[in-house]
Amino acid sequence: MVTFEIDGQQVQVEEGEPIIKGAEKLGIKIPTLCHCEWLEPYGACRVCTVEVVMGKRHRMVTACNYPAREGLRVLTQSERAVAARRMVLEMQLARCSTVPIIQELAREHGIEKSRFGEGTETCIMCGLCVRICSELVGAHALCFGQRGTERFISTPFQREGEEGPCIACGACVDVCPTGHIWMEDLSARKGQPQDFYLGPKSAIAIPTQQAVPKAPRIDPDACIYLQTRGCSICQQVCEPEAVDLSQHDEEFEIEVGQILTTTGFQLFDPRKMSQYGYGRLDNVLTSLEFEMMLNSTGPTGGKVLMKNGQVPRAIGILHCIGSRDENHHAYCSRVCCMYAMKFAHLVKDRSDAEVYQFYIDMEAYGKGYHEFYSRILAEDVNVIRGKAAEVTEQMWGDEAEGVLHIRCEDTLVGKFRDIPVDMVVLCCAIEPQSDLGNMAHILGLTRSPDGFLLERHPKLDPIGTNTDGIYIAGTCQGPKDIPDTVAQAQAAAARILALIAKGKVLIDPIKASIDAEHCSGCRMCNSLCPYQAITFDEEEEVSVVNDTLCKGCGTCVAACPSGAIRGAGFTDNQILAELEGILI
Amino acid sequence: MAVKRLHLMVCAGTGCVSNKSMEVKAALETEIEKHGLAAEVDVIPTGCNGFCGVGPILLVQPDGIFYQQLRPRDIPHLVEEHLLKGRPVQRHLYTPPGEKGTIPLMSDIPFFHAQVLIALRNRGMIDPEKIEDYIAREGYQAAAKALTTMSPQEVLDVVKASGLRGRGGGGFPTGIKWESTKRAPSENGTRWVICNADEGDPGAFMDRSIIEGDPHSVLEGMIIGAYAIGATRGFIYVRQEYPLALKRFMIALNQARESGLLGEDILGTGFSFDIEVHRGAGAFVCGESTALMASLEGNVGEPRAKYIHTVERGLWNMPSCLNNVETWANVPPIILHGAEWFTQLGTGDVSENPWGGSKGTKVFSLAGKINNTGLVEVPMGITLREIVFDIGGGIANGKRLKSVQTGGPSGGCLPEELLDLEVDFDTLTAAGSMMGSGGMLVMDEDDCMVDFARFYIDFLMAESCGKCTPCREGLRNMNMILQRICDGKGQEGDIELLEEISACMIDAALCALGTSAPNPVLSTIKYFREEYEEHIREGKCRAGVCKALITYKVDADKCSGCTLCARACPVNAITGETKKLHVIDPNVCDRCGACYDACTFDAIIRV
Amino acid sequence: MARLSVQSLNALRDQLQAERAGREGKCRATVIVHMGTCGISAGARQVMTALLGALEERGIADVAVSSSGCAGMCSREPMATVQRPGEAPVKYADLDEKKIVRVLDEHVIGGSIVKEYALAMGSERAG
Repeated sequence: MVTFEIDGQQVQVEEGEPIIKGAEKLGIKIPTLCHCEWLEPYGACRVCTVEVVMGKRHRMVTACNYPAREGLRVLTQSERAVAARRMVLEMQLARCSTVPIIQELAREHGIEKSRFGEGTETCIMCGLCVRICSELVGAHALCFGQRGTERFISTPFQREGEEGPCIACGACVDVCPTGHIWMEDLSARKGQPQDFYLGPKSAIAIPTQQAVPKAPRIDPDACIYLQTRGCSICQQVCEPEAVDLSQHDEEFEIEVGQILTTTGFQLFDPRKMSQYGYGRLDNVLTSLEFEMMLNSTGPTGGKVLMKNGQVPRAIGILHCIGSRDENHHAYCSRVCCMYAMKFAHLVKDRSDAEVYQFYIDMEAYGKGYHEFYSRILAEDVNVIRGKAAEVTEQMWGDEAEGVLHIRCEDTLVGKFRDIPVDMVVLCCAIEPQSDLGNMAHILGLTRSPDGFLLERHPKLDPIGTNTDGIYIAGTCQGPKDIPDTVAQAQAAAARILALIAKGKVLIDPIKASIDAEHCSGCRMCNSLCPYQAITFDEEEEVSVVNDTLCKGCGTCVAACPSGAIRGAGFTDNQILAELEGILI
Repeated sequence: MAVKRLHLMVCAGTGCVSNKSMEVKAALETEIEKHGLAAEVDVIPTGCNGFCGVGPILLVQPDGIFYQQLRPRDIPHLVEEHLLKGRPVQRHLYTPPGEKGTIPLMSDIPFFHAQVLIALRNRGMIDPEKIEDYIAREGYQAAAKALTTMSPQEVLDVVKASGLRGRGGGGFPTGIKWESTKRAPSENGTRWVICNADEGDPGAFMDRSIIEGDPHSVLEGMIIGAYAIGATRGFIYVRQEYPLALKRFMIALNQARESGLLGEDILGTGFSFDIEVHRGAGAFVCGESTALMASLEGNVGEPRAKYIHTVERGLWNMPSCLNNVETWANVPPIILHGAEWFTQLGTGDVSENPWGGSKGTKVFSLAGKINNTGLVEVPMGITLREIVFDIGGGIANGKRLKSVQTGGPSGGCLPEELLDLEVDFDTLTAAGSMMGSGGMLVMDEDDCMVDFARFYIDFLMAESCGKCTPCREGLRNMNMILQRICDGKGQEGDIELLEEISACMIDAALCALGTSAPNPVLSTIKYFREEYEEHIREGKCRAGVCKALITYKVDADKCSGCTLCARACPVNAITGETKKLHVIDPNVCDRCGACYDACTFDAIIRV
Repeated sequence: MARLSVQSLNALRDQLQAERAGREGKCRATVIVHMGTCGISAGARQVMTALLGALEERGIADVAVSSSGCAGMCSREPMATVQRPGEAPVKYADLDEKKIVRVLDEHVIGGSIVKEYALAMGSERAG
């Protein structure tokens, strides 16, 4: 620690820390334009020039980078310091006469108008953007061009946009004191990001307002540290030291007896049906996005708003996007009709917007569902039977108003219709996760032609699979609503617990066994076994049967080319003896 | 090697080379071959002799005959007369300005006579591309002495006692700098020595001349410095615009490495040291130590605050000792002859206080309105008068001296009254100028001091890195004000405004370029304030330089109607018939002065 | 070039210095061989060659050898003038290859004038 004096007041700072640190502690304001706590001191604006006295020696230094020394006396308001600061500000004002921060600082120093003219530059050359980009962000996407009076902020080799190294983190915009740098909206160029409507998120954020646990999460794709090894400000500011950027994804091996597969579904990507304009037209949303918008903890606080912040006058809800469609999924996604009606109900509840539903068939079977449908009809929701053909931005007809137009054939009336709306919600199909096949392979599960996991028996065992101890529940098995999912999951849990409660498991005595002497290690049986019961012992170089998994089906017995596998109770001799018994 | 009876030392410095000295050399060789003298006569290309104004130069040794301004077509006659018949050719000998008699011997020419050579000790005497020539003139003897008979501390003590101060301009005591570098903590013991060969002052070519003429002297100085400091690696930062210097350095480095004078185990003493050459990209500011090091690191050459000195945390945050070319070249003779020998020359007393005086010599480049332009090495404490009149041969064309500018763009202008000033680091600073790297520009009554200040501010404005506000904006505004004064649009208070900006730059600018940049303005205001006032109040430029403030007229009494002026005028502003009075149309005249120069009757008047 | 040690550096310097003494302008004597048309036709060229050869043989580098035009006494060519610093120049006449070597050894190096060949002491006054 070193003790020194600023304007007559004693202050202590760590050795090597600059004068300005002590001034902060004392609450003495030393103006500066280029200093930032997170960056290396730069000393370019020279507004923080102060006079220091060390013994008899007087010296003019900048407070932002002059290291405090024991016994130093700092004069922030000496005649020389004030004169230098005033002149610097007057010259800055002459360069950037329209920049508020300069006008304000100059006024504080008694300068209303510069004697050197009134330039209209907006960059004060503080270098904060360049430095934050290279020191903290590590992207090195900004630099200075030219030198002297010609100096300007530039990008390396003046490459911009997608060619340049900019990662669009916005740090430079944030740090720029004058507004010389701004973010360009790239959405028009790159297409609408999937979660754009939900607003930009910081790389470290609490995912949703009701997240459990309610703790921030780092998005590795957006985190500057994980992308460039720069920044790490979150780690530095977190006082409880809860942020540990050195953590990374880890793989654990956990030994378990039973597995419940509940990997869920993914939403059909409506970009594949370009006629609906998703990703191309503003205010065309997927059902999931609209659901988040309607949520009171969502980005709009539950209000129905368009991208421009206005309340839509009419909303079109399009059913069966990707479902019941031979080009995509032939099946019905089962939940869309009902949630579409819920949307209509909520929109009607919260706004004056007109709601149009475009459906093929209204699937509202089951407890209380059809009653809800009737209620919606009573709420003045326009329900049009007919699949929407396309969504366009063009005008269609004379009476057209609104931004988006939905074209469809109303099959009940037998007419083509063109309905202007402000917002379109696409009820996208429920489809298997794109990597479900991968997982099915790992677990040895089979899939039905639609891609969902196949249950052992559709009626008698809808939660079991062909592999003992592996169960499925929820939408990984097929489209279903929440009550069905919960019921299936609870049933699976009960099945698992039943097995655990038993403690010991009785298995069928009919098993296959491999005679290690005769096994050639060809592994033909390994892939043939429908129950994944045969594995290969790398050390002994023979195949081994897992007795608990083996169902004694005999496939391997028949297939083994060296006749090394025997089915217990079904050896050749036993079968021959049985035959003999029948024949005699 | 056979003994030659004559040695023809042809100057191959950049000045002479651009005056075709290499063609002269080729002609010499052809003629010598033709006369069958090749076995007796040796032709040696040497470094710059300093007397660039009269190049190409040929020195015939051992006679000591000095030939000047030779052209290739003069050579056949010269070879026949001098080499064959032994008669020096009169018309190529040096004639002092204003005199008729020639001075055949180099040592008798005042330009050379008054000089004392330490840094330039080998100039004109060696072929810079031959290490043998350097060794023959006691080269690497100092390094051998230091490495074998002295401890690093003893070397350091000698340099400290010599009072050698940085020749790059700052005048910081070299010994103190070495000592601080040696003492600075370094985690892995790494220390660097760096040679600043980024000579950027307009009109200055001291460093270039030393490198081109005697590159080994710099290398030897660096070896000794590295030994004293404990550095194992050195860097030479040479500007890209010096291709010949770069080439000579590379040749010298290779020769020194081959001879075991650089690299591992130098001279079998176990000391290892090597040097790397880095080319600068032509930024004046890279002569500033922190900017130079930033550039060496591969970053943009911009200065940073020097509150932590580069001797402690310089290049790659390691202790770094940066000295100028001339400083390094001064080191070997000091080690060889001792500190006492060095302190005999110069001013003051450095035995107690290293800032107490300026010892040894300084190389200056003489330029401007002076008869003998060129490079001179003179002892510290010599007066400006001696340099300008004795060595420089006085003002050209019989004009009156107005001012001497020292220290390059950041230096200042000294008036005639200060001609008897004894030149050293401290007197120049006290007079409002500086030693700088040694530029010396002489101005006569035809030079306008306001225009001169504007010129330098213009230069600095183009060369400022632009990092800090006072330098960038201060120079921009000073330039604006000076331009307005030169254009006759100056306002009352402009001088005070210039002074105000200057004060801010001195107090608040980041690096030495910024803090010294107001010097040309301040010194001209200090000594030539009345010229500024004339420009502003009377709209008059007494030197007739500022075009907006002058008009050309024809003196009706003197004009003979010769039409010479009309023919010289590029814009056809002059009308008049033969043998009749000519008239200049002031609306067309662009004030170039061509008529003024052309008139042989002094009939054109500049008002 | 081989890697140098301190000893070899010194040895090299001494050798190089001897070779280059003439460049420094440091001479123990100057020998001027008169090489006008008359001199050359009488054998001055051979005298010059012999002189330079002898110098090289003896490893002497600090003797300046110069040439000049006709000395005026064409009948006594080849002629040469020997100048030692601080002494009056001596003109030798009717020289040949052997005589000049003797002049070199006795006068230039030894310091005593070879009277048999000497023509005169002193030089013409310029002007």
